[in-house]
Amino acid sequence: MEVEWLTYLIHIIVPIIIVIAAALAVVFKDLIAAAIAVAAMSLLLSLEFYILQAPDVAIAEAGVGACLTTAILIIAIRATKREEEA
Amino acid sequence: MSGMSRIVKTMASVTFPLALIYGLYIIAHGHLTPGGGFQGGAVVASACIMILVAYGSVWTMGKIKEKRLSAFESLGALGFICLAFFGLIFGANYFFNNFLVHPEGLDIIFNGTAKGLSNINTAGVIPLMNFAVGLKVIVGLFAIVLVMAYATTKLKGEK
Amino acid sequence: MSIRNIVAVTFFAVVALFLIFGALMTHPFGEFDEDNTPEMDQYIIDNTQSETGADNVVTAVVFDYRGFDTLGEATVLFTAVAGVILIFRRVKK
Repeated sequence: MEVEWLTYLIHIIVPIIIVIAAALAVVFKDLIAAAIAVAAMSLLLSLEFYILQAPDVAIAEAGVGACLTTAILIIAIRATKREEEA
Repeated sequence: MSGMSRIVKTMASVTFPLALIYGLYIIAHGHLTPGGGFQGGAVVASACIMILVAYGSVWTMGKIKEKRLSAFESLGALGFICLAFFGLIFGANYFFNNFLVHPEGLDIIFNGTAKGLSNINTAGVIPLMNFAVGLKVIVGLFAIVLVMAYATTKLKGEK
Repeated sequence: MSIRNIVAVTFFAVVALFLIFGALMTHPFGEFDEDNTPEMDQYIIDNTQSETGADNVVTAVVFDYRGFDTLGEATVLFTAVAGVILIFRRVKK
């Protein structure tokens, strides 16, 4: 019974943090901080997939979303400007 | 990227084999446990990109060229499509035929039928396709990031 | 209130209506409803181990039952890698 209660709590908390991280990625003016926020959102999304019993999607999301997308975004930011223009 | 400090290089060298073993385990056990070619390939490509970020793209490009990566990726794609076409030749003669476990097909390797016992010698053509797709995804994703990182690096002669 | 605001509010209301009705019509989470399960799902769950010999049903579907989808995905990845290497290649002078 206590385990079910904990599961419901995690089901509520993790999507809220995902939405907060996604909003922070939009708000930040420093683009590298925004890229790190996207990576955190992706990692939490893979955790949510794992809780929802889809481990295949969780592994793919953790590999592609949290590592490859961040690397590509940071390479693109390094080739351009770091600060967002207002 | 011109390489990071010695601490980062040492830690990347220590953690690289662990991530490599984890990804190759996911690929090799794709027909038994969650995961498969694409997922394990993404994990191994992430490990390779960690080495790329730690040591710099110039050093990595000196170790392996993108022409060789393209050749390996084509090899993976050819393996996948050849395994699909072998289904037309052996067994019941249709595309994507699992000819290794078919009753009329070949009976060489991976020929068992699983009953929940997690025997690795099962599932016919699926492990071979996992290896092909895994090779393709590893080399493809690593080649994308390597080429992008090398193209945006300022070399010594340039201003 | 300008025309642009009215259009935006209308569009937002329509999308919100679609999302609310879609959320009300989804399958309940974590419950298995035997009457509403599609026939294909039940066939795959029952026959995967005896037909393909794989324990992992997802991999069996991806590489055996739906092999053409994987072929298309591999083609997409191949095209992406070829395009990136073509654009970002350093030309020797």
